[in-house]
Amino acid sequence: MPPDEDQLVIDDAPLADPAQVRRAMEYYAARGWTDGLPVVPVTASYLEEFLATTSRDRGEVILPMPHLNRALTVRLAAINAALAGCLPSYFPVVLAAWDSFLLDGGVPKAIWQSTTGTAPFTVVNGPIRQQIGLNSRGNLYGSGFRANATIGRAIRLGSINAFGLRPHVLDQATQGTPAKYSCCIAENEEDSPWPSLAADNGIGPSESACSSTVIRSVLHIEARHTIVPEQLAADLADTICRTGAMVRAFASVYVVLNPEHARLFDSRGWSKQDLKQAIVERGSRTYRQLEASGKEAIAKGTGWRVPADHPDAIPQPAPDDPDTPVRIVRSTHDVQIVVAGAPNAGVSSVVETFGAVGRPASTVKIEDQQ
Amino acid sequence: MLERVGIPAVSLCTDAFRITAEAMARSLGFPGYQYVAVPHPIASRTQAEIDVIAHDFLPEIIRVLGAGLTIRPAD
Repeated sequence: MPPDEDQLVIDDAPLADPAQVRRAMEYYAARGWTDGLPVVPVTASYLEEFLATTSRDRGEVILPMPHLNRALTVRLAAINAALAGCLPSYFPVVLAAWDSFLLDGGVPKAIWQSTTGTAPFTVVNGPIRQQIGLNSRGNLYGSGFRANATIGRAIRLGSINAFGLRPHVLDQATQGTPAKYSCCIAENEEDSPWPSLAADNGIGPSESACSSTVIRSVLHIEARHTIVPEQLAADLADTICRTGAMVRAFASVYVVLNPEHARLFDSRGWSKQDLKQAIVERGSRTYRQLEASGKEAIAKGTGWRVPADHPDAIPQPAPDDPDTPVRIVRSTHDVQIVVAGAPNAGVSSVVETFGAVGRPASTVKIEDQQ
Repeated sequence: MLERVGIPAVSLCTDAFRITAEAMARSLGFPGYQYVAVPHPIASRTQAEIDVIAHDFLPEIIRVLGAGLTIRPAD
């Protein structure tokens, strides 16, 4: 039930003078230390509560950005987690998410300055999900869940405040994506027939983990119509191979299956690896289809898709048969599968990533609470 | 970076990235760093158009390349 309108207004100031709270919030806004939404004022004592949740030294550099002459330390990550509205108990997840971005590799190489405009994306596995109330079910991508909303936001605020990646200045995103405000999900391990993403990457059942990368789009898949796994795999592969997404020569995605879709595959005897392989096998476009969009060739240097007559195109003869398939999904490592969402409809999603390709997910164990 | 170790270098960007170029220079402790801004865009131009831009900006590129690590003159 939504709150009564009057309940939204604190009129008796039980804890603090609301005018002082607003002044503190305006202090941050006036300095640009925000993503545009109000941030939570951080005091020195509140910061200590965050730092007390980790054994790591506050001065430890988590993610260096040498080309900007800047670095993210544990302390800076904690300040931004607090600004984002995290509770101190979320901080170990934020730290592991940053570690995972370092491992993924795109962030330290300046991907967040790119015109493509990628957002941080993190998947959380393990018991920490219940401990801090991370949502893995309905309304997965938001909103309505503090842990998801603020952990994802902590990363974005860290990029703004620690690295100075502000829009129109060092963040050159042409359009960006709504996911830049926050995009942190948990896997619905309880409703999944398969081992989790973390288990796939060597994390034990009593441990928690983050897998992070940078993303461009979250595309929804409507597939309530079929009980044939091959049809569902074809629907997913078709979306993954859309030409509009192609800058790089090859696609790389997270497929976030709702539990109903995952159970459909499982009931027909498909493992997660079987589904990945089926997507790779269907992961192509014909030369004719690519040519229609001017993306049939690969550029020297950048490796981007360009028309064959582009000055940068690597010379390559067109195939005799224009319906020859051209591979877009190169390897099963480029298709990570996560089960999440409510088990209430055949609605899944494809998350188009722009991070590491051709290797396993960048999964990092979350430190146990101190 | 190269010029700090004595290697002649020139940075090129399109004019759409001037604000970022200035911010990068400040981040690296060298506000006013000289670079060459060419017309935007690059990726969607023909080879002939690129050749014209290269021809027009070559003297400026050579000038900045030979100038060493210097602050650009005031406008």
